[in-house]
Amino acid sequence: MNCAECRENLVACVEGLLDREESLQCQAHLETCAACRTEHAAITRLQRQLVARGQATAEVSLVEPVMRRVHREQFKPERETIMSTILKHRWGFGLGATASAAAIILIALLSTPKIQAAAVEVMTKGAQAVAKLTTIHLRGQLRTEPQDNFSYINPDSGFYTIELWKQFEPELKWRIEKPGRVAAMDGQSTVMLIKTANLAVKVPKPTKSAFDTDWLHKIANLSNTITNELKNAIAKGWKLNLAEERAADGRTKKVVTIEAKSGLPDNDYLKNSFFDNADTRRVYAFNDQTELLESVKIYIHAASGDKLIFELDQIDYNQPIDPAVFQLKLPANVSWFQNEMQMLPDNEKYASMTAEQATRAYFEALGRQDWTEAEKFRRSMVDDQTKQIVGGLEVVSIGTAFTSKNYPGQFVPYEIKLKNGDVIKHNLALKKDGKTGRWWDDGGGF
Amino acid sequence: MDLTDKEYVERCRDGHQEDFRVLVDRYQKPLFAYLAGRLRDGRQVEEAAQESFVRAFLSLKKLRKPESFYSWLLGIAGRVAKEQLRSLKHRQQDCEVTESIMANVADSREDYPLEEAIAALSETYRQVILLRYYEGLSCQEIATRLDLPLGTVTKTLSRAYTLLRQELAARESAEPTVNQTELP
Repeated sequence: MNCAECRENLVACVEGLLDREESLQCQAHLETCAACRTEHAAITRLQRQLVARGQATAEVSLVEPVMRRVHREQFKPERETIMSTILKHRWGFGLGATASAAAIILIALLSTPKIQAAAVEVMTKGAQAVAKLTTIHLRGQLRTEPQDNFSYINPDSGFYTIELWKQFEPELKWRIEKPGRVAAMDGQSTVMLIKTANLAVKVPKPTKSAFDTDWLHKIANLSNTITNELKNAIAKGWKLNLAEERAADGRTKKVVTIEAKSGLPDNDYLKNSFFDNADTRRVYAFNDQTELLESVKIYIHAASGDKLIFELDQIDYNQPIDPAVFQLKLPANVSWFQNEMQMLPDNEKYASMTAEQATRAYFEALGRQDWTEAEKFRRSMVDDQTKQIVGGLEVVSIGTAFTSKNYPGQFVPYEIKLKNGDVIKHNLALKKDGKTGRWWDDGGGF
Repeated sequence: MDLTDKEYVERCRDGHQEDFRVLVDRYQKPLFAYLAGRLRDGRQVEEAAQESFVRAFLSLKKLRKPESFYSWLLGIAGRVAKEQLRSLKHRQQDCEVTESIMANVADSREDYPLEEAIAALSETYRQVILLRYYEGLSCQEIATRLDLPLGTVTKTLSRAYTLLRQELAARESAEPTVNQTELP
């Protein structure tokens, strides 16, 4: 191997790409040629620098933070024009929830940037594509607690499956299920079973939505979702964005992003605890060819950054649903939630309590296993499993009640010690019953 | 096969702003290394890198040579770094970098002209260098990714080395600068 051949192969040699014979020839030449050795050393030095750079930056991940900032910068509020002001007011007074999609497009085109208008158009086409739905089935994953409310979200929880079946014709029926709860409306009544508490709640009439399932129904009722999302985006200054994505199979999707604001201050107790109380980024992906909604992702804006809390990855349109799906099978020993609280002979004693006093009285009754007394603060029986847990508890402290803008009750901080030694610190949600004036346990307890 | 920088820039300008994601992904690591050579603090580096990309995005329409996106980006980053060094009060938003990355980068801090030299390469050579060292692909993997024969990749890499060394040699006697002609 001469100098020219050697230098031609030096990078390949440093990279280890030569076969054994070529490599030996190269090494042999380097041993005899000082000039080529110098060249080899320079290439090796450069390679080391490059390798070090690559290794040092291996964990750098700027794509998501940059794109979030790009979105924010791109949709900074524009100066309000006279026209947009007029239109905003006209929207409020002249157009109601029954406004046609065409009218919405017109307003959005006039009052929002070009991309936002394009996003509106994509969503509107998506709505038109599902205008004649007879059934829909949604299946997704939600960061929540299995037994908690259907709309309860917790960015620190794991993902649990949540599923909706909905029949629009000939008669509205629906069912929503997550691991610890299931609710169904069979056309006659609406029933929810809290599996972990073996507690059932019945609304003796058909409903369009119940038991904190509104957010999922909204997604299922796509035409209404679009109307409401656009109405909110315009009225509240929410931002719409549109992007194209290419799937692995080559299909393209139109992706509409909506930045939704709850309007709650950051220090509100319920901020980001439920869908309606959360600042979220909602990402709707539409099939470019069929214009059908294919997936939904909802990110919560938390202090630590955006976090995916809900992902809808299966949507079945107009597929037959077995009628049995809408019939809820309840356990034989299920206990029922009381829709009405009963007046007590000494009702005034309880009605005059503060929320803190009611909390203490309630927990103390549970502690001494006086279930009759405890049930004066509840709208359901204390089930056997709960009795095993709370019997013998001691009240460590009761804090000062506080409120949340979106909750028509009060929260009372408490600390209790269970008989097994566990200490629980949490907030009891109490509502005041309109008829009896008594506080009752609406959650956060047992 | 991936599109070129020029094609991605043009798509972004045409309203496909999500395609900017590809450009961020393509240049985030060399940009980070470049800024790490100029700034001391990991948070500053990440913030400057984000700021550079955002300014680049907002100024894409002003970029006269879309094929020179990376060189132009480094120019923006150089100015952002200078601003940061002048400023006593640094914004610290959305920073997620770990100090361990910084500690590693700091080891090669004095080599930041390397990123400028890489920026001076034409896209064919720059792409192979970035894939090989910043993405950690083998030559065979690069050949597969770019749908090129292995021999072509090897030759391109070899030529890229030659050009890089020429560029670095030229910079040794000059003040480190990057393309300053197109201000965002």
